[in-house]
Amino acid sequence: MRKLAAFFTRPNGSALAFMIAGAIWFVFGTSFGLISAIDLVAPDTFQNFAPATFGRIRPGHVNTVIYGFGFMTLTGCGLYYVPATLRTRLWSEPLGWISFVLLTGVVAAGPVCFASGVSQGREYTEYPWVLDIILLAAVFITIVNLVMTILKRCEKELFVSVWYFTGAFMWFFFLYAIGNVIWSPPAGALPGIVDSPILWYYGHNLVGLLLTPLAVGAAYFVIPRVVNAPIYSYALSIVGFWTLVILYTHIGGHHILQAPIPNWLKTISMIHSVGMTLPVFAVLVNVWMTARGRIGRLVADPAGRLVFAGTVWYLITCVQGPLQSLPVIQRVTHFNNWTIGHSHIAVLGFAGFIALGTLWHVLPLACGRRLWSGKLVNVQFALVLFGLTGFFVVLTIAGLIQGESWNNGFTIYRIIPEIIPYMVIRLASGLFIYAGAWLGLYILFRTLFNGEPLGASPEALVMASGATLAGPDGAGGGGERRSDP
Amino acid sequence: MIKMTPAVLLIGAPLVFWAATVIVVIIPIATMDVGPSKIWRPWTPEERAGHKLYVENGCSYCHSRYIRVNDWGLGAERIAEPGDYSQEVPAILGTERTGPDLSQEGGEHTDGWHTAHFTNPRYTRPLSLMPAWAFLGRRNIERLTAYVQAQGGTMADERVARQQLWNIQAAAAHRRGGEDGSIEWLHANIPAVWRPMPNPYPATPPALGRGQKIYQDFCLGCHGPMGDGTGPAAQYLDPPPLNFTTLRRHLVEGRYIGGIFYYQIMNGVTGTAMPYFKRELASEKIWDVSNYVALRFLGYTDADTEPFGIDAAYEPVWANPYKPPVVPGKPGPEETPGKERQWE
Repeated sequence: MRKLAAFFTRPNGSALAFMIAGAIWFVFGTSFGLISAIDLVAPDTFQNFAPATFGRIRPGHVNTVIYGFGFMTLTGCGLYYVPATLRTRLWSEPLGWISFVLLTGVVAAGPVCFASGVSQGREYTEYPWVLDIILLAAVFITIVNLVMTILKRCEKELFVSVWYFTGAFMWFFFLYAIGNVIWSPPAGALPGIVDSPILWYYGHNLVGLLLTPLAVGAAYFVIPRVVNAPIYSYALSIVGFWTLVILYTHIGGHHILQAPIPNWLKTISMIHSVGMTLPVFAVLVNVWMTARGRIGRLVADPAGRLVFAGTVWYLITCVQGPLQSLPVIQRVTHFNNWTIGHSHIAVLGFAGFIALGTLWHVLPLACGRRLWSGKLVNVQFALVLFGLTGFFVVLTIAGLIQGESWNNGFTIYRIIPEIIPYMVIRLASGLFIYAGAWLGLYILFRTLFNGEPLGASPEALVMASGATLAGPDGAGGGGERRSDP
Repeated sequence: MIKMTPAVLLIGAPLVFWAATVIVVIIPIATMDVGPSKIWRPWTPEERAGHKLYVENGCSYCHSRYIRVNDWGLGAERIAEPGDYSQEVPAILGTERTGPDLSQEGGEHTDGWHTAHFTNPRYTRPLSLMPAWAFLGRRNIERLTAYVQAQGGTMADERVARQQLWNIQAAAAHRRGGEDGSIEWLHANIPAVWRPMPNPYPATPPALGRGQKIYQDFCLGCHGPMGDGTGPAAQYLDPPPLNFTTLRRHLVEGRYIGGIFYYQIMNGVTGTAMPYFKRELASEKIWDVSNYVALRFLGYTDADTEPFGIDAAYEPVWANPYKPPVVPGKPGPEETPGKERQWE
């Protein structure tokens, strides 16, 4: 019993649990994606095996990669770096564990529900009501844990990663409750067309106010540490943070720009979508200027390379995003595979790459063992980068073919033969990503069990890693760039 | 310089979030209740059950449920209005069109067509990427069919009523006289102007090649590879798909008329599972598949015979080598194998 209590109060225990779960969900999530991709190439492959039907496996894929892989991996990293940069420990490890168990339960139960035909059906809010409540409880517990950690901190200044991580959880709690129309079980939806603006307020901000702040916060942690320099500008950090929540929250309407919703909602969504360039460039300028002159060091580091690539995907995603929100462009890009390409570079390219990079950066610090193989991480980087690039390119092409053809009066059925070759290449590209997911799991377990011990206790490592970021004014901004050690 | 303190973070960040949420969530909830549109009607319990299946099985990941302004090129008869979704829970609009939009799908096809299509979409649509839903069971497929037939509100009801009206006649004709009865009924319902119309375009090998491809992609599931109406969908359809070979007993003007094929393919046969293909196939493709069906399954096409007016500019010099069938009510003359190989 005492052993058990010791296990659940060990420093970084819950953070590690989240990271391990994230790597496992990456494998599961991409497995579901692979089955979906096979369905779109040869729809009778799993004939009469209901769980592998496209309509039932796709929500398993989407929800598992977002909540399981992206959210849980980045949460695990944050539960490490938030206390670290505050020079303290997580306020309550047991609460971290409870949150972990609840969230893992939701992510595991979701695909089982979908496979058996239990789903709320609204994209990204498919979890049944009971799972919604459990997920909200997990998020709420983490908020309490974070607030208490902040209040009990030893470092006066809040590092920028702490803003984003805490913000993400506070926003996500309300966002999830509203987006899932939690007060109206079991459907979790409002009657009539008004449900659509709410659904897409949620659907877009799941990326915008959950994955984006988690990934940006993680990048703000990893990049300065890898290049050993303080954050370039405190002012840009501030601008990026506040414009994110001001602008992003408004833009869900651009998903239903062509649907019969009020024009004022469409206008708001377009204006704020274009405005999104502001937080995006504030963040990118800030992290890239932090690494200025040391990009070589950033990309030489296996973890830093993944995070840096993630910021590049962020740029591509967020140049596409505002453009796609313009009616004249959306006339071609909406309703087709262009959007699928876009969503994959947002979730896997931006959030996923940063999650993987941060995982490989934080894992050794959290478990006190050296990364088992940097080379294998580089192989994972190559696999996922190659797969995702191919994926993105062919889906974008397929989308343009579909969109232009429809606008020229061709029916959906006539265009199916045109996109089949791209569906095949997409499946092939996906296999590279899938291999990357398995490799990640392998690296993770080899590190945990066979990694060379770092010598210091995990707690000492927490303090040490946080201290690296504490510049002359604590938050890292405005100080002189320290020379290389 | 603004400093990020715990108070600013923990109170300010949610406040900004809520300010935006009031604008894009609370105000729409308060103001967006527009009431039902003109074509709206409540769903029956059967249709409601179908909607539940539609939601739970993720149909919305591939099908949208609103027609956009820029869908006019697809022949849209009505752009979606907010009141079309009145009281629906959840009113899932869809974000992807791997499959077609369904907002006005009701009455486009017969119930039998949908049963075959849900059982395995490739039965009626050989190129389809849609999953087979046979595992849902006959009863659930009925519910889904009822739901799809309700898409389009009262506009769908009018189309469904038209399907049912003609289905009574078409099914009765088949019950009365079998395959021959079906053909007699069809011939009786062809507008007179189409009856003497030969296929104006030559049955050259490339044209027949196009016809074959179209047949495989569009017709095979019902009419079958031998053109005898025994495709996999046939078992679900009443009346069954046409057996082309029986046309040998039903000559019009002493031949098989290209114009009749064209008219039936373009316009479909409402009340039967035969859809109209005018949105899917350009005029040339319909003439090509008409030539193909006539030659492949009957051994004769009236392509490029009198009256043919002025030949189109692209036409090669081509003289119809096929002998018209001579004895009404009996199989036509044996075709020589060489002729068939011309285009195979």
